[in-house]
Amino acid sequence: MSDTGFASQTRRRILYFIFIGTFALLGFRLFQMQILQQESYDEKSADNSIKAIEQIPLRGVFYDRNMEVVVSNIPAYTLRITPADYDRKLNRILETVLDVDSGYIDKILYNNRIYSKYVPVRIKRGIDFKVVSWLEENSEYLHGVDYVVEMQRGYPAGVTGSHMFGYTKEISPQQLKEENDYYKPGDYVGHNGIEKTYEKFLRGIKGYNYILVDSKRKEIGKYKDGLEDVASVKGNDLVLSIDADVQRVAEKEFEGKSGAVVAIEPKTGEIISLVSAPEYDLSQFAYVTSKDFLNQLYSDPKKPLFNRATMSVKPPGSTFKLLAAIAALDMGIITEETTIFCGGGFTYGRFFKCHGGAHGSINVVRAIEKSCNTFFYNLIYRIGLDKWKEYAEKFGFNSKTGIDIGEEVAGLIPGSDYYEKIYGEKWPRSIMASLGIGQGEVSVTPLQLAQYTALIANNGKTFTPHIVKGYLDNNTREFIPFNFKEVKVNINQKAFNIVKEGMYKVVQGEGTATRIRFKEFDIAGKTGTAQNPHGKDHAVFVCFAPFDDPKIAIAVVVENVGFGGTWAAPIAQKMIEAYLLKDKIKKEEQVIPRLKERIIGAVIEN
Amino acid sequence: MRIDYKLEDKFDFGLFIPVMLLITIGLVAIYSSTFNHPVASGNFQKQLIWAIAALFVFFITFSLPTNVFRYAASPLYLFSLVLLIAVLVMGRKVSGAQSWFDLGPIGFQPSEIAKIGTILALASFLSRRNANIDSFLDIIGALAIGFLPVFLILLEPDMGTALVFMGMILTLIFWKGISLFSLFVVLSPGFVAIASLFGYFYFIVAMILVIVVLFLFKKDIFFSGSIFALNLGAGFFADYVYSILSPHQQKRIQSFIDPMADPLGSGYNAIQSKVAIGSGGLFGKGFMQGNQTQLQFIPEQWTDFIYCVIGEEFGFAGSIIVLGLFLFLFVRLLKIASAAKDEFLSLVLIGILSVYFIHFLINIGMTIGILPVIGIPLPFVSYGGSSLLVNFFMLGIAANIYRTRKNYA
Repeated sequence: MSDTGFASQTRRRILYFIFIGTFALLGFRLFQMQILQQESYDEKSADNSIKAIEQIPLRGVFYDRNMEVVVSNIPAYTLRITPADYDRKLNRILETVLDVDSGYIDKILYNNRIYSKYVPVRIKRGIDFKVVSWLEENSEYLHGVDYVVEMQRGYPAGVTGSHMFGYTKEISPQQLKEENDYYKPGDYVGHNGIEKTYEKFLRGIKGYNYILVDSKRKEIGKYKDGLEDVASVKGNDLVLSIDADVQRVAEKEFEGKSGAVVAIEPKTGEIISLVSAPEYDLSQFAYVTSKDFLNQLYSDPKKPLFNRATMSVKPPGSTFKLLAAIAALDMGIITEETTIFCGGGFTYGRFFKCHGGAHGSINVVRAIEKSCNTFFYNLIYRIGLDKWKEYAEKFGFNSKTGIDIGEEVAGLIPGSDYYEKIYGEKWPRSIMASLGIGQGEVSVTPLQLAQYTALIANNGKTFTPHIVKGYLDNNTREFIPFNFKEVKVNINQKAFNIVKEGMYKVVQGEGTATRIRFKEFDIAGKTGTAQNPHGKDHAVFVCFAPFDDPKIAIAVVVENVGFGGTWAAPIAQKMIEAYLLKDKIKKEEQVIPRLKERIIGAVIEN
Repeated sequence: MRIDYKLEDKFDFGLFIPVMLLITIGLVAIYSSTFNHPVASGNFQKQLIWAIAALFVFFITFSLPTNVFRYAASPLYLFSLVLLIAVLVMGRKVSGAQSWFDLGPIGFQPSEIAKIGTILALASFLSRRNANIDSFLDIIGALAIGFLPVFLILLEPDMGTALVFMGMILTLIFWKGISLFSLFVVLSPGFVAIASLFGYFYFIVAMILVIVVLFLFKKDIFFSGSIFALNLGAGFFADYVYSILSPHQQKRIQSFIDPMADPLGSGYNAIQSKVAIGSGGLFGKGFMQGNQTQLQFIPEQWTDFIYCVIGEEFGFAGSIIVLGLFLFLFVRLLKIASAAKDEFLSLVLIGILSVYFIHFLINIGMTIGILPVIGIPLPFVSYGGSSLLVNFFMLGIAANIYRTRKNYA
């Protein structure tokens, strides 16, 4: 028998070799998988069977400057469907009960089809309590339908603040792409206003509960008895500089009107009140917003979604005379004594009429008090257009203020380059005249006007206007302030004094807003009327109080009503009262309920 | 004369002990993978009963006169063929293959019986007094005996079992002493066939290799030409066979080439099984502690994917022990086969060894992702009554041959 024949040594060796080789190959592969790559496989195995359930933390609440809660969290009911247990025959009845279009449920289930059938899908948030009790009563017929309690925004202080606070909204696909390290589809994020700017403070840190699921993603139980669970961390509570009392008054005053008001604490730049009217109901945005409501908001000709306080631009009217006065005084073109003759108008290429007849020879204080147009027509030519623009920009016009809500525009202060662009090198110089009295191409936002007033009140110093002062530490409840940039205007102090004297006289003298005086303190202000080519003029009023130690500076714009002294000034007056005479008003308010209590008590006793 | 012998002389503990350890490990793994399962939770008890029954079969086979196997070869082979035809007509379909017979509550696969019948018949044919494996007629004869059941099994179609048969046939003719050139003639069509499944490029490369080898052997031109034609035919035939394969088998071949192409479909088992084994680490996650196993990420894990349970719950240590026990078993069987002086019995042992080995290689290879997912069980470990009975029957033949080895010395 040759060595290569039947059952030969060689053939036996070949088989041995195959066995050992196979053993080595399989053994090596096992070593590679179980020892070298164990971690990566372990991760995949954990991904398979351990599911992290996100715990959405409570969003931080908003306090006003007196620590009154203005935006809170309130429990709301969310209806869910677990597709695996659900029969689509129930669609019709559920859609009727939820008051949604037919096909609504199918659409949501279709959008969530990539997830396991055992994972409940949120169908509608913020459902009525009536619906909840209906669900309870009929639960035995409603397989796969349940509800959970989730938190939504509440506005307990009776403060609307729609444009300030903003609302949260389901995250957009775009934003999800950019910030996929934190957010998941279906998360709610601040969409505008403070909710958006301070999202990172408000959202807190998500927690995770780990559960075991089987191959069908069906929940089996807690992973390691919940030892690995991570508790969510509540978002930081924000402290706003808003005064809820002032805000409520301002909102009430603006009911039925269009316009905006911004009140600032001059020394700090803190916004005491900010209203853009008409407002809209933020609670409608708390969770899923109905389409009708949105359509209504979008199609409303009054544009309630538009933040007029920071985004509407209008000529400032006579309130801009203060700027021309400051510029001229600071440049030394005029002094307190310089007089200009007003014969009832001004001629430069054409005739510009003054209002209230002829003022005669008047100085700057009187000109402000009486709001003499002739004086300021003259002044702007003496200052020069570009110099005037430079001063306007010093006071924050022609650029965004940097307020801590995102929606803001810069407005426009025209200079010679602007007119050259439109009319060419030889632009008619007569255009300039109306700029001196705040008419024409010049356009500013109410917020800019408020900052300008604050700067005058505080002699050229303030801080970037802001609504949020700081936040509360979650554990210690300690207030941690945010830092804001100082805004400084280098102007001769004398110029401020003279202009402020003029403003004082507007209210406390023989000026255009003498009706809004208080006996407790003095107010300084300036009325304005912004010409409106489309209808009635816009009423403008800026003021600060108390005159000696300004604590509040206000700019009011009321659209399409007429003269500023008549329409805008009384709103500012009410706000000043609410802010500076708070204690007095509170006392009066307390007397009335106590009386009522007594009466009700008497009825019960009987 | 009375020979004074020890028990070890008659009973090979080297065969019996590793197998008993394997079946114990298998029972543990079946227990773990079915304990929490809604429908398969009784499988541990069933397997235990089967194991006891299989032990009886083993001892009966062990005690039979050795010549029984020689005489039974032809009848058993013919009986197997009848069963394989019958199952095509009235069998039960399980996962796409018509391969099961139901006998009351128990089912069995005729291909299991055909394994024994074919081994015995082929061994019998090859051990004829004047057999010459390098003669054309004997090769054709051996291939015909071997491939008749393969053909019937492919009709079911049961690719996995057919592969086991092909490996077994190859091992037998190899053991018989086939020359290198004849081996090439037998093997090359298979090689070309597999290459053609990967696409025309690989098919052409394989054919070029065939031409090179033919040139090196320097056989006459007519003979070389015929072999070339045979290979060419095999390539086209494979394409045809692939086209008539059931979709689930086609998918399995595709998913081996790229498992991630369909991670939730045909590639799912391959991925989940690797995850189970890989995540086991050195000592495993512990008995009943594997999440892949306990949460049923691998369907029917107690059958073909039982090795994942061991890999996940007992880690590298447990997996290597199983490999070691099999290696010990194979070496032991090879030793007995080498020692057997009777050609028929030696060939029968090699046949049994090759069946065990190919099951072992394909099963473990697929669970650790180096071979496609071809559903065949791991001998002695996987759940399943009829395969357990046949495996113990074959082990009984091996032990029987060991017992009577001295009679032929």
